[in-house]
Parts: sequence; C-alpha cells; structure tokens
Amino acid sequence: MSSYKGSREAFAAAMMQLAEEDPCYVTISPDSMKAMRMVAFAEKYPKRFFEVGIAEQNAVGCAAGMASCGLVPFVATYSGFITMRACEQVRTFVAYPQLNVKLVGANGGIFGGEREGVTHQFFEDLGILRSIPEMTIVVPSDASQVFAATLAIAKRPGPAFLRVANGREAVIFDREIPFEIGKARKLVENGTDVALMTCGFILSRVLKAAEVLKTEGINATVLEVHTLKPLDKAGIASLLGETGAVVTVEDHNVIGGLGSAVAEVIAEHAPAALVRVGLQDVFPESGPAEALLDYYKMGIDDIVKAAKVAMAKRDHRRAG
Amino acid sequence: MSCENVNLVDLARLLRRDVVDTVYRAKDGHPSPALSCADIVAALFFKVLKLDPQNPKWPGRDRFILSKGHACPVLYAALARRGYFSRDELPGLRSLGSCLQGHPCMRKTPGIDMTTGSLGNGISIGVGMAMAAKYLEQDYNTYVIMGDGELEEGIVWEAAMSAVKHKLDNLIVFVDNNGLQSGGKVSDISGLMPIYEKWEAFQWHCQEIDGHNMDEILAAIANAQQAKGKPSLILAHTVKGKGVPFMETDNSWHKRVPTDDEYKEAMEILGGMDCE
Repeated sequence: MSSYKGSREAFAAAMMQLAEEDPCYVTISPDSMKAMRMVAFAEKYPKRFFEVGIAEQNAVGCAAGMASCGLVPFVATYSGFITMRACEQVRTFVAYPQLNVKLVGANGGIFGGEREGVTHQFFEDLGILRSIPEMTIVVPSDASQVFAATLAIAKRPGPAFLRVANGREAVIFDREIPFEIGKARKLVENGTDVALMTCGFILSRVLKAAEVLKTEGINATVLEVHTLKPLDKAGIASLLGETGAVVTVEDHNVIGGLGSAVAEVIAEHAPAALVRVGLQDVFPESGPAEALLDYYKMGIDDIVKAAKVAMAKRDHRRAG
Repeated sequence: MSCENVNLVDLARLLRRDVVDTVYRAKDGHPSPALSCADIVAALFFKVLKLDPQNPKWPGRDRFILSKGHACPVLYAALARRGYFSRDELPGLRSLGSCLQGHPCMRKTPGIDMTTGSLGNGISIGVGMAMAAKYLEQDYNTYVIMGDGELEEGIVWEAAMSAVKHKLDNLIVFVDNNGLQSGGKVSDISGLMPIYEKWEAFQWHCQEIDGHNMDEILAAIANAQQAKGKPSLILAHTVKGKGVPFMETDNSWHKRVPTDDEYKEAMEILGGMDCE
C-alpha cells in the first residue's frame, strides 16, 4: 500500500529522490515550504531551496531565469496562485520559450480547497493551462501516482504542470505503478455500455460508481485520462467508438477541463452522447471535502445517474 | 570609416542609425525607446559583456535581458554588429518568417538570452539567472535594462526584495529613466517618484548617472561589479529619442515610422556614414 500521508507528501518525497539523483533539480518557494511539505527538502538541500516570499509571479519569473541556465526548477504552491496570479509568467516566460520549469499546484478542485472556500479552491486551473501551447498537464489520482508523476514530469523536457490536493484523497493504487505521460488507461473494463472518463482524485468515486452500475446490470469502462495535455485523443476516440456514451467526471468547472477536452474529441473524431459531471459553472462554498463533492453534484449517485442519461441520449439518437 | 577600432560613442551612433533604418524599412517598431538606451547597449555589447557570438549558448557568458522589450531594434542592431546574425536581417523586423520578432524571442533570435516584451518581468527573470549563477558557482553577471515606466509593475518590487534577500551582487540592473511612457509622463501617470530613493530603501547598491555619457556608464558598471553582497541599480537619466532632435521632443515616436523625409533628416543628423 502507498505509504504517503497525502499527495503533497508524495510530491515532497519525489523531490527528495530527484535531488539525490541530480543537483539540477531545485525548488522555488513563494512561502509555500510548509504548505507543500518541503521542510525536509529545505533542511537537507538548503542551497537548492530558493525562498522568494509571497510573490508567485516572481517565483515563476525566477524559475524561467533558472531554467534558461540549465537548472530544472519546481515551483510548488496553491494551484490558483500559479495558474491565475502568475498566469502570464507561465504563459509568456515558461511556455512560450519552452523552458524546463515544473509547476505543482495544490488545492486542485473543491475537494482540495474544501473548508478554505473559493479563494483556495481552484477549479479553473486546468482550463486556463489547457489553452496555453507547449504545456504538459498531468492530473494524478492518488498519492502514489503523484510520486510517479513528479518523476515523470521531471524527466520530460519542457514546461509541465502537476495537480495535487490536500491530503484527504483516497488511496487507489496499491503499488508504485509508473506514470506514462499522454497515455490514458483503462482501469475497469466491465463492458461497453458506457464509458466513464475521469482525472484526478475523484477517480475513487468513479470506480465506486462503476461498481454500482454493475450491480444494476450496466457494464462500464473506466478510462483514467490523467494527462490533459498532450491528450490521448486516439485512446479516447477508440473507447467512444465502442460505447457511444460517455460521462466525464472531474473536480473542476465543466468548462475548460476534461469535459471540454472530451467534447472536442467527440465533435471532431467520434460522435457520442456526453454528460459532464463536475462543478456546474458556479462558485462553491466552504465545507468538508467529501460533503462538498456530494453537494455540488459530484457524488457517486450523480455519476450513476449521468451514466444512465448518457446511455439514454445515445439510444434515443440511435433510435431516431 | 573602418569598423575596426570604432569607439563606443561612435558605436552608439551607429546603433542609432540602425534603429532608425530598421524601423523605416520594416515600417513598424518603437524607435524612441530604443534610442533612449542605445549608449548603455553599446557599452554592454561592445565593451562589458563576456560573450562568444560563435557560441551564443556558451554557459559562462554574461546574461543580458532587455526588459523593455519594445526597444528591441537597438538590441537586434547590437547583436547583428557583434556577428550573431547578418545585418541584412534587420529590416525583417516584425515580418512573417523573420527571426526578429516584434519583441525579443530567445527561441528565434541567436544571442537573445530571454524572451521579453511584457513589462516588469525582466528583473524577476534576471534574479533567477543570478541565483542560478550563485548555485552553479559560475562567475557570469546578469545585466538587465528596464524602462522607468515598467517600474509601475508589481513584480518589479517582488524581484527587488528577493534579489536583496539572496545577496545577488552578480545582478546589475539599469533603469532607462527617460521620464516617458506610452501614455505620457511617468510622473503624471503614476506615483512612482522618487525612483532612486525607492531602490535605496529596498537596500540595493544604487548609482545615478547620465545615461548618455559613456564614461559615466562604464564607471557605474565597474562600480557595480565591485559592489559585494547587494544587487546593483544604475538609474540612468536619459532622453527618449536621444540623437534625433525631432524625436526627442515628441512622445509619438514611442511607436511611429519615419516618413521618407524624416528618415533622411534623421540619418543625416546621425552622421550619414556607416563603417565598413
């Protein structure tokens, strides 16, 4: 079983491993040392830990400068402070020059931000980044996958973003399996009645929803689309061709993230009936993580219902 | 005249000729912000910077960032005259297929250390380069030219604080203090003044010079290189459009293309002669 307390601890453990491997890996902190669980890293590698104060734009600017000199800087802090406050630095000085900067965003989704409220719940980050050329965007689904994904983005040259949460995420994978950037993977293959496509920590709910569907005689395939960019269009289109009905499930606004990405594949490559489960373009509120997802219609029941709606839409079209 | 042994003052004049010529031929670009910092660029590219034009990515080179990226015609001219690319490229500025983008792009133009153009960011990136030098135990310096108007951006002061915390005495920043920005006088548009006192209060090693006096520019750089434990700020008083009188008095030359007559007049004022 995974031994990490949460996804941030898994990220920090991966950074320790990377630092041991190569002195080119450094971290820049906009006063995020504690939040990103980097205390041990800062103590063991003080020269590789650059504190710049509460100044995310400067953190990303510094990272661009460092990367241009051959280092591989990681900037890790709350996701929205990277993708919104420092959005232009990410776009113009990291992505445009294709610099080897790694961005790690915590409190992804309302599950990640939970009781902190909207200022610390980030459900636009993936949509913002998806519209920026050259970005690699990965959204792992549990702590052990965050560990593997941190290593994966470190080894892949170029700008990358990794989304983590707050420690309340479930353990899904019971061993350290590799993280293959850009390759969606089937985790449940009960059948082709409907596809459930998802990314991030909400995968644990999708797996439960697939079980519920099975008890009701509906055989779903669960596809984990853990890389939003580069998107595995072929893998998605192939499954869409088999099911003709899909539910996307994401802890993100339904605009801009996985739901939008799959809709684009549907529109251009593989017609299918789609229902998007996610935050329905509203500002949420503070609350316990699991209860928030339920309240904002990202519950297991909601996924099950969405699957039935998607299948009905497909069948109606076919009948028509 | 021969291009051998041209002095820095003459080189600055030649860069100014290139700026006017480039903007005139390209029919686009920002002439007067480029003329404003031509003397500083000449000092850096023909005297100060450790560079190898045959090996633009040489890791030990000094780094240069033109934070006021819209002034790039003067940077492109300096790079061409240092041999990074042919001067024949200059009129291609801003045109499709040219290696000379509207604002500097490190992926397209040899010799450009950092993409710039969005104001305020150059100093922050320079802080990163200077921190990298310290960490990698390399002895290169990082030089940045900022405009005064871009000091209005918040990231400038974020970077200023972090440069002091990290004792970046390998970071030397010029402020091209021509007093004007796109919309008018800096002093009318913002509450920025006083500039020098602000940098002193931020604990930088500060100097104030005439940004068109080559001796003062070189002396200030030498002082800055000797300053230990602090990043350096050189507040260079300049005239926007310097060298072309009708541009010095009219801020519309921030971004404007000379007519045929204006071009002829400017080139005559700038000496009429190039080196060969």
